[in-house]
Amino acid sequence: MTQPSASPILSVQNLDFTVGDLNILRDISLSVQEKEFVCIVGASGCGKTTLLRMMGGLLTPTAGCALYRGQTITGPQPELAVVFQDYGRALLPWRTVAGNVELALEARRIPKNERADIIQDMLSRVGLAERADAYPMQLSGGMQQRLQIARCMAQAPQVLLMDEPFGALDAMTRQTLQDEVARLCSEAGVTVVFITHDLEEAIYLGDRVISMDKHPGRLSETLDIELERPRNQLTTREDARFLAYRHRLFNLLPPGH
Amino acid sequence: MTRILKGLLLPVLVLLVWELSARSGALKAESLSFPTAILLAAAAVVADGSLFKAALETFTGAVGGLAVGASAGILIGVAFGLSRRLSQLMRVTTESLRPIPSVALIPLALLIHGYGFQMESSVVAFSCFWPLLIITEGAVRGIEPRLIEVARVLNFNLVQRVTKIVLPAALPRIFVGLRLAAAVSLVVAVTVEITANPIGLGYALIVAQESMRPDKVFAFIGWIGLIGWSLNASLLRVQLKWFGRMGNWAEHTS
Repeated sequence: MTQPSASPILSVQNLDFTVGDLNILRDISLSVQEKEFVCIVGASGCGKTTLLRMMGGLLTPTAGCALYRGQTITGPQPELAVVFQDYGRALLPWRTVAGNVELALEARRIPKNERADIIQDMLSRVGLAERADAYPMQLSGGMQQRLQIARCMAQAPQVLLMDEPFGALDAMTRQTLQDEVARLCSEAGVTVVFITHDLEEAIYLGDRVISMDKHPGRLSETLDIELERPRNQLTTREDARFLAYRHRLFNLLPPGH
Repeated sequence: MTRILKGLLLPVLVLLVWELSARSGALKAESLSFPTAILLAAAAVVADGSLFKAALETFTGAVGGLAVGASAGILIGVAFGLSRRLSQLMRVTTESLRPIPSVALIPLALLIHGYGFQMESSVVAFSCFWPLLIITEGAVRGIEPRLIEVARVLNFNLVQRVTKIVLPAALPRIFVGLRLAAAVSLVVAVTVEITANPIGLGYALIVAQESMRPDKVFAFIGWIGLIGWSLNASLLRVQLKWFGRMGNWAEHTS
């Protein structure tokens, strides 16, 4: 566990979420330090997305609270960007690639004449500079998710909340995007909470991996990942420590549950 | 090309039989006229400027009413679409006003406005208001919820949310409503002119009928049809121009 003395950028305290008689999340507490990359893994239906939505202020907990820099999160705020899994639905189909990034700049009230440079910069970081005038429907799934990430980064967030962002992508694209996101976030110095059901993805990306149990959703174990960065898709995944982490998590979260 | 020629075969045949039977006296030419006379009359109303004047009057009444009715329908439709509570609160009012046939309001509009464009436009506006209210409300309610969340995460206020997310997302469907309403507006404008208002194409039709000029009646009917067709065609062009480039998204939602 991270030491509680350093004040966390994001934390969750004794959070409960109940809908009717159904207890979805029970007594969840965790804290995330500045610039940390925290992955939360769990089987589908364990409430990990619900937990992320509460950190983003899109849902209100039944009891307990989520805090950003010590302040209770009561609603969405621009410092907390949410990357949705269904990128196709989160993009504005009537706006071009550049126009979708511009949306975040409009929200920040950036003057019109300064926008073009920022847009170009954001798009080149995710490798979409050449497609600035295309419409989202003309992009592949991987490109659409890159665009959503670019829009979220244009929001100039402190924390990036990512909800299974690569769940719908093929294995090759997923690996490329994992490396891109790791690089992008460390360059920008942004804190990340990353939800996934892929154990290896969690270990590969995270500084820390938290596993969740279901019925009701609760945190079960925390693993500090001591693997050097930058990580490498081949060598990191073959590292004995990587395999040991995987073994550990695999026993906590056996597949098929 | 041959398909078009085949399609023209029947109309041409009908016109030919019509012309011949009218000229031979088998058909009563004084009540039905005949194609060449109608064509001459259609050219005559263009030449003396009466078609242009009447068409402009009808067009002003129809488009004026469409503009007022459609904007009100879109505005209230967006409000109803965003707030289910407001929509339910107003349901009794809207559902009791909606079934009133717009032409039944002609006497009332006459009492309020007297003859002229205002009276005609107000009846047209009433009839164009409803399709846009219903279509806009449905379109706004059907917006991808994820987009609303994106607006929330970006901390947009209500005006930004409506102008940046809600209206553009609903626009393809609203545009379909606009095309429907445009057709309605012409029908209602001509109806008002035929029944009450002494201006425009509808009134020109009545004058032609009362002066026993079937050729002119047919000529004006033909021109009205052409105006309706070109109104729809130009709106369709705008629709393709606006939404054509965004891939199949606009087609899916409309």
